[in-house]
Amino acid sequence: MDFATLATCLSSPACLVTQATGGLIIGMLLFLVAAGLTLIFGVLKVVNFAHGSFYMLGAYFALTIFQLTGSYTLTILGAGMATAMVGLVFERLFISRVYGQNVLMQLLVCYGFVLIFDDAVKIVWGPEFKSMGMPATFQVPPLFIAGGVVPPFYLFVVGIAFVIGLALWLLIDRTRLGKTIRAAAYNPNMVAALGINTGYLYGFVFALGGLLAGFAGALAAPVRSLTPGMGFSVLIESFIVTVIGGMGSIAGAFVAALAIGLIRAFGSLGFPLFTDGLMYLFMVLVLIARPTGLFGKEIA
Amino acid sequence: MTRRSLAFDLLVGAAALAILALMPIVWPSKALVDFVIRGSAFALFATSLNFLVGYGGMVSFGHGMFFGLGAYSFALLMQRTGMPIPAAFALTLLMCAALGLIVGAICVRLKEIYFAFLTLAFQMLLYSLIILWVPLTGGDQGLRGGIPRPPFLGVNLANQMHLYLMSCALLVVGLILMHHLVQSPFGYTLRMIRDNATRANFLGIAVFRVRLTAFVLAGVFAGAGGVIMSLFVSGAYPEFAYWTISGEGIFIIMLGGWNSFLGPVVGTVILLVLNDFVTRFTEYYGLTLGIIILLFALGLRRGLLDVVLDAWRRQVTLAGVGAKPSGVSNAPL
Amino acid sequence: MLQVEDLSKSFGGVAAMQNVTLDFAPGSLTAIIGPNGAGKTTFFNLITGAMRPDRGSVKLAGEDICGLSPTQIVRRGIARAFQIASIFPSLTVEAILTATVQAHMGYAERLMRRFPLPECRDRAFEVMTMLGLSDKAAVPASSLSHGDQKLLDIGLALALEPRVLLLDEPTAGMGPEERWQMIAKVQELWERQKMTLIFIEHDMDIVFKIAQTIRVLCYGRVLAEGTPAEIRGHPEVIAAYLGTSQETRGS
Repeated sequence: MDFATLATCLSSPACLVTQATGGLIIGMLLFLVAAGLTLIFGVLKVVNFAHGSFYMLGAYFALTIFQLTGSYTLTILGAGMATAMVGLVFERLFISRVYGQNVLMQLLVCYGFVLIFDDAVKIVWGPEFKSMGMPATFQVPPLFIAGGVVPPFYLFVVGIAFVIGLALWLLIDRTRLGKTIRAAAYNPNMVAALGINTGYLYGFVFALGGLLAGFAGALAAPVRSLTPGMGFSVLIESFIVTVIGGMGSIAGAFVAALAIGLIRAFGSLGFPLFTDGLMYLFMVLVLIARPTGLFGKEIA
Repeated sequence: MTRRSLAFDLLVGAAALAILALMPIVWPSKALVDFVIRGSAFALFATSLNFLVGYGGMVSFGHGMFFGLGAYSFALLMQRTGMPIPAAFALTLLMCAALGLIVGAICVRLKEIYFAFLTLAFQMLLYSLIILWVPLTGGDQGLRGGIPRPPFLGVNLANQMHLYLMSCALLVVGLILMHHLVQSPFGYTLRMIRDNATRANFLGIAVFRVRLTAFVLAGVFAGAGGVIMSLFVSGAYPEFAYWTISGEGIFIIMLGGWNSFLGPVVGTVILLVLNDFVTRFTEYYGLTLGIIILLFALGLRRGLLDVVLDAWRRQVTLAGVGAKPSGVSNAPL
Repeated sequence: MLQVEDLSKSFGGVAAMQNVTLDFAPGSLTAIIGPNGAGKTTFFNLITGAMRPDRGSVKLAGEDICGLSPTQIVRRGIARAFQIASIFPSLTVEAILTATVQAHMGYAERLMRRFPLPECRDRAFEVMTMLGLSDKAAVPASSLSHGDQKLLDIGLALALEPRVLLLDEPTAGMGPEERWQMIAKVQELWERQKMTLIFIEHDMDIVFKIAQTIRVLCYGRVLAEGTPAEIRGHPEVIAAYLGTSQETRGS
């Protein structure tokens, strides 16, 4: 424990800003991944254990697209769409076969793909750590807010993630498609009986999850090193976020992701060896107090 | 002596132990000895997990916490105190029971996926504590320095063959005990709760208490597996408490079958063989394993032993032999 | 045996039960009838501890059982069969009943002995014979026909040797001949066990044939009580049922 460092930082606006920014970017990226996860669970009642791999694929797609085109905009969009495609195919060909089955069966199918994706990435891109590098637009000196270091790229990521989150919320809450999705989450049989092709709907939801994870991967690529194992840690953390926030709740995922991001940022100062532990402790405490998560509803 | 009696189990156990004891004589191989010792640890762990999952319907993602605690407690007790091995073993099991009681009391009332995740959270919390508490556990380097093995009752666990026999004995005894629990009145009450907890409640069954007891019992046997592992590696590593251990346990159950008592044992053998063979033939371990998993999950849809037993039972019925006896049916569950 | 006084329960402003006061004599056979939504199943839920009433009391043989958990109420002698058979799919009929008897006898958590305990299995076979399920002893419950599942459901309640047995629509979902077979069994059981039997039914022919007393619930209140003859011509009861052609068959 290093309370001294933590205390010093909390009393210094510069440090506060720097750490908070770091925490925000962690949180927003986590939010994007977790949002897809929680959406898939809310509608399909499937716990997508392969979601971390979607994030990884997004990052690697981003790497290649950026190397080919040099345009970060294209990279983000392309990586997102490519991962969305992966999500769609994954759902239509494999997940659709295990609906309604034992959750362990679903876990197994997902786990099988985690292993396959990890090795596939190793084969296509190589096992070494890779780096995408910062796009030229963002190779500018950092901003100084209240004395704290704020890289413009971080601001960009937070902003974009926020916009994406808002768009997602609008989609789910305000559009007809969103209403259908929410209805399907609540009563899939009814939705099917009303003539809506639930197959397309489920595929869409999975594709949406993939899109979000792909965006997250593309946004993380400039500031993270790419390696075939990168899906695992994101998976665990995004699960924690989803569970804490409440499975099926996007708002919950947002709040929980930010909380985890900040805990990580400030926790790594005060508890350098126990940063992960803090996260798990937080999860334990939340679940004891509210077993279905902060915004969660009871599973029928 | 009917199929279901304890005497029958003891006989089968004795025979299995005899075969296991003779194997290294017939086929001397260090690899075999190592395989069986590791296999005993994992088979105990996986069978105890299936006690929860298959018989109790309680899917725990954090069962590895007992494996890790078992390994570390035993190793630390042996390193730090002068106690004899049997005492350390007993004390370790007691500690696992205590952990099971505390964690279980909090988790067991939760439903399904939340139960799974909270148990996982507790396991990872334990893992984080192990990493943090460097002076006690050695942190992420693991517990070094070996485990003192004072001989007891003529058994010297420094001798690999003694360790081998001890592991086999622990495995067989553990399996017999767990099978007895499964076939006790408690075991059937547990199955009822698995099938329909609400109705069980309306039959006067104390659902929470039964589930908690099952959780604690499962934890104790998992801890025993951890002890074997710590003796095998002469120490303890944080990996023993990492979520991947729990994942492997689930994986083993899926491979071997969760509808039969010995399914997890079969699954352990399959997993260990896969681990060893696949790495020998290809560097793309993940790809191969992933495809095999998909074959199981999408193709067989059941564990291996379940498939075999179902086919055998269908043959038996078709042949007209053995109408279901008037006793409890042949379905293991 | 069972006394309910001023029992009331609301769900978010909707009064499912209002000031219901009823008395059930020991060994009586009572039918509870009423249009859908009258509160019949709510009544059972309140008595068995599945729900807590907002007001009122429930007394079993003089003892106040309000607020006790379902498990505690079961131990005191009220057992219930469900409208949709609530059973244990993967276990055999014999195993289920033996385990139930075992729970009733207090052996549910025994670790030392082996299942099945002979005394429990014998009693389970008695129940099976009573219900005519003995030839299906080794059949997994999920493979049973609908009617047999309902019988098993009743068997679970019987295995608890209750003082008060509650049957929620025992003939629901059955064809005409099956219904009468079922109800004949129910009546036989009642005569043999001498328990207080309360059942919810929609089939008026059956109700009028076998019930000693009929209680009519409507909108959560007791509309009328009496013998079949009294209820048959009761103007308010007929009015409550007007429009539901099935149910006026018997009146």
